[in-house]
Amino acid sequence: MIIGLVKRNLRIYFRDKASVFFSLLGVFVIIGLYVLFLGDMIVGESEDAFPGFRYVMDSWIMSGVIAAASITTTMGAFGIMVDDNAKHIMKDFKVAPIKRWQLVLGYVISSIIIGLLMSLITLVLGELYIILQGGQLLGVITLIETLAIILLSVSASSALVFFLVSFIKSQNAFGTASTLLGTLIGFFMGVYVPIGNLPTGVQLVVKCFPIAHSGVLLRKVMMGEAIERIIDPVLAGAPEGVFDMAAFRQSLGVDFAFGSYVMPTWMHILVLVVTSLIFYGLTILVVSKRKAKDA
Amino acid sequence: MRKIIEVTGLQKRYGAVEAVKGIDFYVEEGKLFAFLGPNGAGKSTTINIICTLLSKDAGTILVDGHELDKEDSAIRDEIGIVFQESVLDPLLTVKENLMTRGSFYHLEKEALNQAINEAMKTTDIVNIANRRFGTLSGGQRRRTDIARALINHPKILFLDEPTTGLDPQTRKTVWKTIEQLQKEQGMTVFLTTHYMEEAAMADYVIVIDNGMIAAKGTPAELKEKYSTDSVMIEPKNREKAIAVLKNNHIEFREASDLLIVDLAQTLEALPILALLEGEITSFQVLNGTMDDAFIGITGKEIRE
Repeated sequence: MIIGLVKRNLRIYFRDKASVFFSLLGVFVIIGLYVLFLGDMIVGESEDAFPGFRYVMDSWIMSGVIAAASITTTMGAFGIMVDDNAKHIMKDFKVAPIKRWQLVLGYVISSIIIGLLMSLITLVLGELYIILQGGQLLGVITLIETLAIILLSVSASSALVFFLVSFIKSQNAFGTASTLLGTLIGFFMGVYVPIGNLPTGVQLVVKCFPIAHSGVLLRKVMMGEAIERIIDPVLAGAPEGVFDMAAFRQSLGVDFAFGSYVMPTWMHILVLVVTSLIFYGLTILVVSKRKAKDA
Repeated sequence: MRKIIEVTGLQKRYGAVEAVKGIDFYVEEGKLFAFLGPNGAGKSTTINIICTLLSKDAGTILVDGHELDKEDSAIRDEIGIVFQESVLDPLLTVKENLMTRGSFYHLEKEALNQAINEAMKTTDIVNIANRRFGTLSGGQRRRTDIARALINHPKILFLDEPTTGLDPQTRKTVWKTIEQLQKEQGMTVFLTTHYMEEAAMADYVIVIDNGMIAAKGTPAELKEKYSTDSVMIEPKNREKAIAVLKNNHIEFREASDLLIVDLAQTLEALPILALLEGEITSFQVLNGTMDDAFIGITGKEIRE
C-alpha cells in the first residue's frame, strides 16, 4: 500500500517541472549570487596568501547549498500533500481501506527520497563547479561522511517541514511559505553572508536553527578537507599566530561557538537526531489528535 | 430483496446549519437507487456519511451488515465511489492512476492487474490507458473515475452527480455504463442527481429537500402521487366554453388563449371533451412528468 503511494508521489513530484524548479529556487539564488559576485568578494585577496584559496571557499558555499537543498526540496515534496488536501484528492484515499498512518508514512518516505535525490544532485553539481574552478574532488572517506550527513540532514529537515506543513491547508499558503523559506534559507544557513559577519543576535538565531547544524557538519567535512589541502601546508612553515584558524573557522560557520565554548561534532549530530525525533513526534501527536473523519 | 444499506435517524449539522434532519431509508440489493434534490438539499452530505468520509451526529447506518463508525474498513472494502469532482492525478496516466488507487486495497499484484484491466474494459478506456489523466476530455475523465471506483469489485457503487457538467452525448454513454453495471453485474447503484430524466430511470427514488425526505417511491408512484395529468383546450368560442365548464362545476385555469383542466387521470378528459364538443378547435391531454412531481413535492423548480 505504502509503496504504491510513494511511487505515485515521486512521479507527481518529478513530472511537475515547476515544483522541482521552485523547490530548488533557494539553491539557485544562493549559487547565482555566489557565482556572480559574492564568491569573488569573499575570496578576495586571500588567494595571494593561500594559492588555491578559491577551492576552500567554493567548498564552503557548496556545503551550505547542499544543506539548504535538503530542506527546500523536502518542503517541495510535501507540496503534494497540501495539494491532495486542497484538491480533495485525499477523500479518494480516505474512502479506501488504506490506514491513515500508512498515508502519512507514504508522504514522509517520499519526501525523504526526494530530499536525498535532490541533495545528491546538488552535491554532484557542486563538486563539478568546484573542479571547474580549479578545486579538487572529495576523498572517498569524506564522500562517505558527506553522504551520511546528507541522510541525517534530510531526515531532520523532513521532520521539521512536515510539522510546519501539517498546519497548512491551502495551496496559496504553501506557496507563500515555500517562497519565504527559499529566500530566507540562505540567511538561516549562514551562506549569503558568512555567519561571522552577522550581528551577534542574528548569529544566535542561525545557531538555534536546527538545520544550520547540518551545514556546519558538511563544512567540517567538505571544507575541512579543502583547508587541509590548501591552508594547512602553507601554515606548516609559518610562524605561529600569523593566521587565527579558530576565528576563521568560526566566522565561516565551520565551528559554532558559544562564548569560548566550541560545539563538538557529536553535538551537531545530536541536534539533528533530536530534531528528527521531536518533530516527527509532534506531528504524530497533531495528526492523531485530528478526527479521523471531517478533516 | 435484501436491504444492502439501512439508514435510521441520520442527522448531521455544520455549526448552526442542520444539513440532514433525521432521515430514514433503505436501499435494496441490486437496485438503481436515486437521491434526487436541489443543490444544498443534503444529498452529498448523506452520501459522504455513508461512504465513511464524514462523521454523523446521530443515527445508525448499516452497509451490507457492517455498522458505520465501527467497521469502516470493512465498508471501504465493499464500496466504490465516483465523486462529484475528479479526484485522480492529472500528471499520471490513466493506468498509473488506477494502479496507485488500486494499491490501497487488499489485492495481490496479479489480482490487481486483472481488476484494472476489467475496470478499463467495462468503462471502455483501454485505448486511453497510457494517456495522462489531465489531457483527457470530460467524458473520458468521468469514465476513468468510474473505472477507479470499480477496481475493488464493489458491491455498492456510489455516484455523486455523475453526469453533471457533461455534454448530452457523453451523459448518455456514462449513463449507459452505469445501467450496464447494475443490470449485467447486479451491482447496487446509489446515485445523486438533479436531472429528472435520470431519476426517472431509477428503480427507486428518494426526493430530499432541506435535509428531509420529501417523498419516496418508484418513479411511477411519484408521478402518480405528485404530478397531475391535464387537458389543454383551445376553444372556438371562449365565453361559451367557459360557461359550459362553469355550469358543470368543472375547475379550470386560463393560460393565454387556452383553458386547462387538471385531471386525476387522463381518462377523465373524455366526458369533459364530450360536453364541449363543437366548441373546441383542438385539445391536448398531458401526462404528468417527473418534473411536475418534483415541483409538486418541493414546491420549487429544479435548479440546473
